[in-house]
Amino acid sequence: MKRRLWFSLIATVVAVIAALAGNIATNNEPILGLDLQGGLSVILAPEDGATGDDLLVVRDLVRSSLERSGVAEPDVRVQGSNIVVDLPGVKDKEEALRSVSVSGIVELRSVVNFNECAASPAPAVPTDETIAEGRVLDSDGTITVDGDPTGEVTPPVDEESIGFLNDEAKTSFRRSAPDPDAPVETDAPAETDAPAETDAPAETDAPAETDAPADTLAPADSVPADGTEPVAEVPLDLAPTLAPSITGAEFLPTLDGNALCAGPSQASGEVFARDSASVQLGQFGQFSVSVDLRGDGEASWNSLATQCFNRLPSCPSTGVDTDGSARPGQIAIVLDGIVQSAPVVNVPVFDGSVSITGSFTQDEADQLSDVLNRGAFPVQVTPQETRTVSASAGGDSLRAAIIAGLIGLALVLAFLLAYYRWLALVIIGGLTVWAMAVYSAAAFVSGATNYALSLAGVTGIIVAIGVTVDSYVVFFERMKDEIRNGRTLRNAAPRSFNSTWRTIWSADLVSIIGALILFSLSVGSVRGFALYLGITTVCDLFVCFFFTRPAVLLIARSKFMVGKRAFGLEVATS
Amino acid sequence: MSRGDQIASTALGRLFRGQTAIDFYGRRRVGFIIAVVVIIATIGSLFTRGLDLGLDFEGGDAWDIPASQTFGVDEAKAVLEDNGVPTNGARIQRRSSDTNDLITVQIEEVTQANADQITAAFAEAAGVGTDEVNFSFTSSTWGGEITDKAVRALIIFLIIVSIFISIRFEWRMALAALAAMAHDVVVVVGVYTVFGFEVTPGTVIAFLTILGYSLYDTIVVFDRVRENEGKYAGIRMPYEDIVNISMNQVLMRSINTSISSVIPVVSLLLIGSGLLGAVTLREFGLALLVGMISGIYSSIFVATPLLAGFKSNVGRKPRRERLTGDKLRAAVIGSGVTGRLATTGASVDAGSTARSGSHDDDVKTAAVLQPVGQLLTHPPRPRKKKRR
Repeated sequence: MKRRLWFSLIATVVAVIAALAGNIATNNEPILGLDLQGGLSVILAPEDGATGDDLLVVRDLVRSSLERSGVAEPDVRVQGSNIVVDLPGVKDKEEALRSVSVSGIVELRSVVNFNECAASPAPAVPTDETIAEGRVLDSDGTITVDGDPTGEVTPPVDEESIGFLNDEAKTSFRRSAPDPDAPVETDAPAETDAPAETDAPAETDAPAETDAPADTLAPADSVPADGTEPVAEVPLDLAPTLAPSITGAEFLPTLDGNALCAGPSQASGEVFARDSASVQLGQFGQFSVSVDLRGDGEASWNSLATQCFNRLPSCPSTGVDTDGSARPGQIAIVLDGIVQSAPVVNVPVFDGSVSITGSFTQDEADQLSDVLNRGAFPVQVTPQETRTVSASAGGDSLRAAIIAGLIGLALVLAFLLAYYRWLALVIIGGLTVWAMAVYSAAAFVSGATNYALSLAGVTGIIVAIGVTVDSYVVFFERMKDEIRNGRTLRNAAPRSFNSTWRTIWSADLVSIIGALILFSLSVGSVRGFALYLGITTVCDLFVCFFFTRPAVLLIARSKFMVGKRAFGLEVATS
Repeated sequence: MSRGDQIASTALGRLFRGQTAIDFYGRRRVGFIIAVVVIIATIGSLFTRGLDLGLDFEGGDAWDIPASQTFGVDEAKAVLEDNGVPTNGARIQRRSSDTNDLITVQIEEVTQANADQITAAFAEAAGVGTDEVNFSFTSSTWGGEITDKAVRALIIFLIIVSIFISIRFEWRMALAALAAMAHDVVVVVGVYTVFGFEVTPGTVIAFLTILGYSLYDTIVVFDRVRENEGKYAGIRMPYEDIVNISMNQVLMRSINTSISSVIPVVSLLLIGSGLLGAVTLREFGLALLVGMISGIYSSIFVATPLLAGFKSNVGRKPRRERLTGDKLRAAVIGSGVTGRLATTGASVDAGSTARSGSHDDDVKTAAVLQPVGQLLTHPPRPRKKKRR
């Protein structure tokens, strides 16, 4: 019996210290909530009913969108029927906010000549002539290379050129390369050729892009202020006689801040099968994105593709291939009004799947694949709650809560020490073990589930101090009664514990039930509160049984208390 | 050997030694009247003043901007007007503490672009970076959703807790515990409406904490009642007596626990919000403080007398007036642990009085009432010096 008590006592202390040491060693500490360290929090709700799976997809989309904007490991999770985004400590709040608030509608539009857009105001973004889009759509995604009719295919690529290509490609994509090469050719054919390095890329198609961007960029950069100018001019030069004939055409910004003129939306991203877009690595290290068409979306996709392939007025050729023939039209993939990519269509009819090739880097390919997935999945989400807290305000709250908590704890201990004298040592030891256990549990839970310790959680813990101390008070008051009624300490301790334990678990169970229900049913900060309420209560029960019980029973058996004052009574010899 | 045989001469000493004999049940009307007054006051105030629901429940945009000599409420108002936001629906307050000085602005929902613009305008007017300006937005449907979910969670919680208490104790105790809890929530709502504090999600959490604390405290008290019920089952002790005895026995525990619980909250309130200037902690701490004190009060003065009321008509009718004064004190002390001992200790008398024709219950009651010194006729048997 005695040995068991010692074992329980020592094992508990060792286990708790080990857990704490483990957490400290691995730098695992409770994640601080937004209100304690500043940052941004957004709660998104779907506009129409969405299933749990839908939300998971949206969550992943938001997460990848944030990661792209430079937020490392964003905390995005589904809570109930909402998506909660917590970005404590995030630096660039506005940027993050933009990344989160995507409406997620992907449109497919044809790329038309600039003059179609003459009637509509040019976008605010500086526009730029477009560049031959190196990307090509293939049916089946199997043969990426041959898709490009331009004949760029010729020379095999050697290592160097691939490397080079990729670099170039990156630039071009970032700046969003695509477009109507029309201008390019007219304006600066010489330059275009230069890039003629093109040959290398041939296979990847990349070449087309590569060079093009190089050219276009130059002018754009050199005349940044009037970026719009070239647009206006170029098209006029090109086809001055054409009047706008397509209604609904408008300038849309591309990813790099350029613009192209897109016809009306002809289909939505819903033509793609859900979650089917993926990135593939081709033979020469080039990335491509393939996506499956949905059974009921194939018709509308193909109608658009056919228009473009046949270079109909609704989707005219926007460039010339290297051999001088008019290239097929382009389909612009537009997300939230921004052109993500505008590949050239090389096949009139697609059967089941589409492959987009080009000189992507892996990131770019991933991004495009995300966009296609998002488009395939048009759950509209709108922010329900947005909250930003400056880092200084958060730090103040944290400091205040910690200092207040520590002072409160010290006062409580002083009070208990004055009241229970020597037995208060058990309380001090027990509270220390409890605090370490709570810290470890909090660090573990917040590490595993991303639940941050918010101000609500901290105050929950402060309140829990009272409830935890109560276990000792109930226990010791009971012992006091027993001793006053003539029992020895040795005799009174186990009896008191038995009745105390029953009281404590009944009462604590109510708290645990409350914590569980609140945690599973509520949203936002209430959830964090419930989590920490649960943790502290479970730790209380744990410490009470495995630390307080053996400690008190052992003290009661030893000669330690003999002749010492406790409970305001002198403890008798046994 | 200290047996606490002597009854302390001062009230405090008696309290300290667990020798109080307060007739809680006899004074139950005081508790009920106070409760009714508080409830009426709260309802009255709710109708006349209402609750100040914060942004999170009504929806809208809000900013916290560091205030300064050159940036105050008027300047904030000017910024809103410059941005075309009507200021008559806006709520602009200055909240300051020793280290914090904030202008809080709340307006109805505007578009995000507008909100960004206003954030920048505030930052500029206050002469700080946009990072120093806290912005929050809540859609009007969201507040309703939070409330709905919290209410739903609460109802489920109450149902499950009622079932739990009914199984663990009995349904009357569940009813009494819920009544006490409702009392505590009403008290806190009363504080909010009378003082016009803003209700925020933090407040909701404070409410939940109070709810949980109130139930916790009530259950600790009920557990003792339950235990004594078992002890006196043999002698048909009237329920009021059991309640009184239990109350007096747990009184010291309740006081100690309330001191230990309230100290950290007071510290949060005074140090956290007063000295360190975390404005958010202030109202939160106040709600918690009031709620906890009310929770401790209600478990003794509302829940238990109520329980006695529910139980008084159950079972056989008691045959005598309830114990008071020294008789109650003797029962409180004597039965602390030794409820059973009391009956056996008096068995000799029981035999004689039974023969003389008086009722068995009286005898047993008389036994309970004996001074402690007579309860234990001999010291406990010394434990054998054997290792267990």
